[in-house]
Formats: sequence, structure tokens, C-alpha cells
Amino acid sequence: MARVLLIEDDAETAGVVLADLRGRGHVVTWAATGPEGARAAREGAWGAIIVDRMLPGQDGLGVLQDLRRDGDRTPALVLSALGDVDERIRGLRAGGDDYLAKPFALGELAARIEALLRRPVDSRETLLRVGSLEIDLISGTGRRGTRDLALLPRELKLLAYLMRAPGQIVTRAMLFEEVWNYRFTPKSNLIDVHLGRLRRKLEAHGEPPLIQNVRGLGFTFTPDA
Amino acid sequence: MPDLLRSTTVRWALGIALWSVLLALTMFAFIYWQTAAYLREELAETLRLEVRAVVADPASAVLRVDTWTAMDPHANHYGGLFGPDGALRAGNLDAMPKHLPRDGDAYRVSAVVQVAWRRLDDEIWAAALPLPDGSTVVIAHDSDEIDRVRVTTLRALGLGLVPTLALSGLGGLLLARRGRRRLAATEAALAEVMRGDLRRRLPVGNRGDEFDRLAANVNRMLDEIEHLMGEVRSVGDAVAHDLRTPLTRLRARLERSRTQARTVEEFHETIDQGLAWIDQTLAMVTAVLRLGAMEEGRRTAFAPIDLGEVAAAAVDLFEPSAEEKDVRLTLAVAAGLPAIQGDRDLCFEALSNLLDNALKFTPQGGAVSVRLTRLGGTVSLTVEDTGPGLPATERGKIFQRFYRSEIARQTQGNGLGLSLVAAIAKLHDATVSVHPAATGGCRFDLSFPVATNG
Repeated sequence: MARVLLIEDDAETAGVVLADLRGRGHVVTWAATGPEGARAAREGAWGAIIVDRMLPGQDGLGVLQDLRRDGDRTPALVLSALGDVDERIRGLRAGGDDYLAKPFALGELAARIEALLRRPVDSRETLLRVGSLEIDLISGTGRRGTRDLALLPRELKLLAYLMRAPGQIVTRAMLFEEVWNYRFTPKSNLIDVHLGRLRRKLEAHGEPPLIQNVRGLGFTFTPDA
Repeated sequence: MPDLLRSTTVRWALGIALWSVLLALTMFAFIYWQTAAYLREELAETLRLEVRAVVADPASAVLRVDTWTAMDPHANHYGGLFGPDGALRAGNLDAMPKHLPRDGDAYRVSAVVQVAWRRLDDEIWAAALPLPDGSTVVIAHDSDEIDRVRVTTLRALGLGLVPTLALSGLGGLLLARRGRRRLAATEAALAEVMRGDLRRRLPVGNRGDEFDRLAANVNRMLDEIEHLMGEVRSVGDAVAHDLRTPLTRLRARLERSRTQARTVEEFHETIDQGLAWIDQTLAMVTAVLRLGAMEEGRRTAFAPIDLGEVAAAAVDLFEPSAEEKDVRLTLAVAAGLPAIQGDRDLCFEALSNLLDNALKFTPQGGAVSVRLTRLGGTVSLTVEDTGPGLPATERGKIFQRFYRSEIARQTQGNGLGLSLVAAIAKLHDATVSVHPAATGGCRFDLSFPVATNG
């Protein structure tokens, strides 16, 4: 399992995140200040780093910028305060790979960290085949078993994203960001309606379900064979 | 006194007084210089003519010198006829003045003169010419007259300056007193405002001068501040109220579950419901904070964006939901739309809020249309629905924070969606307005200025 470095000054938040990620099988180390985190980041080999925006000693974005300048490309997720309009842009400019505003659902953080740990996904692959499902991103066609699926471009993208992370939880926000490429928190039912429509197409002939709902969080793609 | 010196009016008055003194000094100096030069030239001319007249008629030289010295009621005519040996033959000069050139021109020299049988040293103006017989004739006049002009001028200056200074000073003081009296009322009113009474206003006179205009402007500023304070207060009240509702529910639910829930499932259900309420509360807090951040005008993420692409993605996001509700959702984008300068995520959010709003109020079988058109220097984004529409009285209010129309009260929402649209519009220098649609529903217009710098 991957080693994750958490740089977060609030002990309460850190404790909950540590327990949650450890419960999911990750090895997590905690650093409470900017300089401490920067030292730990340099000394260890990490699968991913979670860094809080505001830290004592050195700002989280500063820590990240220093690491990136030194050529460290470890995937990093920036945590920031609630309600900031342009914090995400700053986080990404500083070298962050993902961004999450506080307060967040633990499931959301875990799903995003797991997505970062999976990187790099070979997104050049255009023919995806998982179980009985097969899609061709170039021709825009899909097939379940021998049955042709009439998929809209957006549905094809949704499906591709899910198929590339079989068995993993993909949150609604992650799906939305990936497929629509906007940063915004849509009402959860909007995404659910899209997934429902996609699911009906996949299971039109009574085939076993491929996409499962994860209560309150998102979806998982489970291969059927 | 230091207080008085700090007064602008007093300082102006002092400045003007100093300036008058300087002007007076310059003028007096000029007048003195001109008068003295004139008198000097007049005197010199008289002396030159007189001495030449004596030389022209050497035979009657003695007589002429005596006549010159005699026709003098004020005893300031001098003259002398000196023999080749330097002895005085006629006149009242004691001796030939030293350093007096014998060229017929007038010079200022010192000489010993006899006035009323007394001998005294005096400064005189004199002209001298030699006679054919080797003697010298001197015609002179004392310089007292010219000196008196200087003294008189200086005295006049002194006498004139004192009242000038006094009058300027007095005028300045009076002006300052008047200014301070007018300002005193203003200062008192301002003190009240600073103590926290925002309803106080400055007194405005009817003179329409700078003071009145300034006071009127300050009053307008106070109006705006009072209005904003009121808004902040009502927003604070609304936030507190909207937070209390879900928190009250949450508290009751937790308390009840603690005593009544028996199975793990029942506890899970309570926790899920609690989380949902907390998320709803957080969404509102987030919206309020985002509104604040946007009002500070942060534009870090601004770049040229294609609204057509934003609209297509938003319509795509809402399309299945509209279909489920049996509402026709259409998009029409004019060809060749220019880019606008903006934040694509925020524009998406604004359009999403408008679409969410439109779909919420459009009944089954209705239609929602999104149109992008170019209107002069703007790109106009229009969202039109076939819902019940909005009474004219509510049109101005729906962009206010926490405002929820009568119809909206029965639906979900926190009354911040359209406020966010308005804030996003303002951040983009765009205008947002709502109109009755031809179909009876609402038409929202967002007009973005076209990007000028690419």
C-alpha cells in the first residue's frame, strides 16, 4: 500500500484523516508544520502528499512550490479554507494536482487520494475493455457483450472515466470535474440522473449492473466478469 | 493661538497680508526711485543752464552769482566765483568744492557753505565751469529736497503698512471665525456619527458653496454607509436564521435517536440525515463566503473564455434532468461570438444557477431556452422559461441575498443562487436583469462586455 504524507496543522482534522486513510489500508505520516512537512517530503518516498493551504512556519503552497522547483513530482492534493473563489487556481499554479475545500467528506478525500495514487493513467488508450463492456473512444461506439450501445459523447466520457478505475470509488464531484471539466459543485441529483440514464442503457436487456451507487458519495464501476 | 494658526483661513489671511506688504514695498520703492530721479534731473538741468548762462556773459559773472544766491527764500541756493588763485570773489561757498569737475555738469559733492552768517558742511549738487579769465564759477543747490522725498516716502510707507497689516489680520480672523462657526456644526454632527449614530446628517446651508457641496456629498456617503450597514445586518440576521433551522432539526434528531434508536441501521439513518443537514448548512455558509470573496473583486482566474462552450456544457449537464421533468431544454448560440474576459468556472456556475432556477419553476411540458447573442459590444446570455413568471414588484428584489419569492418559498433553496449570479455578473462587469418573457415566464439576461485585450 502506498505511503501518504499529510501536512496539516489542526490535530483534530489530522487525527480523523489519519484514522480514515489508515482504515483504508494506507500508510500515513503526519507533519504539523510547513518546515516539518517540507523535511518529511524530501526525506521519504511518498505515493501522494496532502498539504493544507495554511500552515505555521511555511505556507502550504510555499512548501509545494519548493518541492516542485527541486523536481519532486509526487502527486499532491491541496486542502484550503471554505469559500475561496480563486484558491484552487493558486493551488494548481503552485504545483498541486488536485484541490479540496474544507470542510470535506472523508470519503471524498480518500477517493481523490486513491485517484492520485493510481496516476498516471494511460489516457492515450482509446479502446477500453472491462469484462463484457467494450468502448472505442475514437469511433464513439460501445458494446456490451454482443449488443451495440447507443452512447452520447458525454456518456462515453463518463464510462471511460469509470472503466479506468474499476473497483474504485469515484465521487460525483470527481466525475463532474473530469467529464465536464468545470470546477463547481452541482446538485447531486444532476449527476445521478446522468448515471441513471447511462445505467439504463448498460442494463437494458437485464444484464447485471456494472455501476454501483456508493451511498452519499459517488459510484463504483464493478466489472461483471 | 496654535489652534488659530492651524486654521486654514487664518493662514490664508496671513499669506494675503504678507503679499500686500510685499506689493506695497515694491510700489513705494518704484515711486521713490522715479520721483527722486525726476527731481535730481530737474535740479541738474537748472544748475547746468545757470552755470552756462554765467559763462556766456563773463562780464556780469559776479552779478549773476549774487542774483542766484539772493533769489532764494529758503537759503538753499549756493554759488561761488573763484579767482584763478582760488579766492572767493562772490557767492556764499567757502571754498571751491573738491573733486568737482569743471565741465558744466551737475554732481553731488560735499562743501562748506555760509548760511545766515554761519558756516556748515553740507551735501550739495553743484555744476562748475571755467571763465576765460581763469576764474571758476560754481552754481549749486543743496540736496535736502531730494533727501526729504526719501524721508517722506519712507514715512508714507510706514504709515500705510501698519493699517494694511492690521486690516488683513483682522479680515483673516473674521473669515476664520466665520469658517469655524460653520464648521463647528459640521464637526458636532460628525462626532455624533463617529460615536455610532449613523442616522445623523451634516447641516447643509443654502449657499451652494464648497462647504455645502462637501456636506451634501458626505451626507450621500453616509446614506450609502447606512444602507450597507442595514444590508449587512439583515444578511447577518438571515444567515443566523437559516443556520438555526437545520441546526435545530439536527439537534432534535440527534437527541431523539440517542434515546430511541435501537438498531445500527437506525443510527446510520440518523447520521446520514444529520450529514445531509450539515452539508446543506455548509453549502449556505460557503455561498455567503464566496459572495464576500467575489465582492472583493478577485479576478485571479480571468482569461478569455468562450461562452458558447460554457453554455453547451451547462445545458448538457441539465439536459437529462429536464427530460425527466418533461421540460424541453434548448440551446441557440449565434455564430462567430467573440470571447469575453472571465472565469469559466464562475460563468458556468452563474448559468447553472439560472438553469436550476428556470427548471425549478417550469411546469411539466414547458420549455427552457438558452440563447447566446451578440448585442453591440456585449455578449448576451439569455435564459427564458415558461414558468409562472415574476410579479413586477419582485423583479428588483430577487438578486438580493436570502430573498425568496412567494413561489420559491415552497421549493428547496437558500435564496442565494441568484445573489451569486448577480455577484458573478458584477465581477465580470456584466449586467444581469430579469424581464417578463413573451411566453409568460421569466427571461434572465446576462450581458458580458466583449474582451478587448484578446
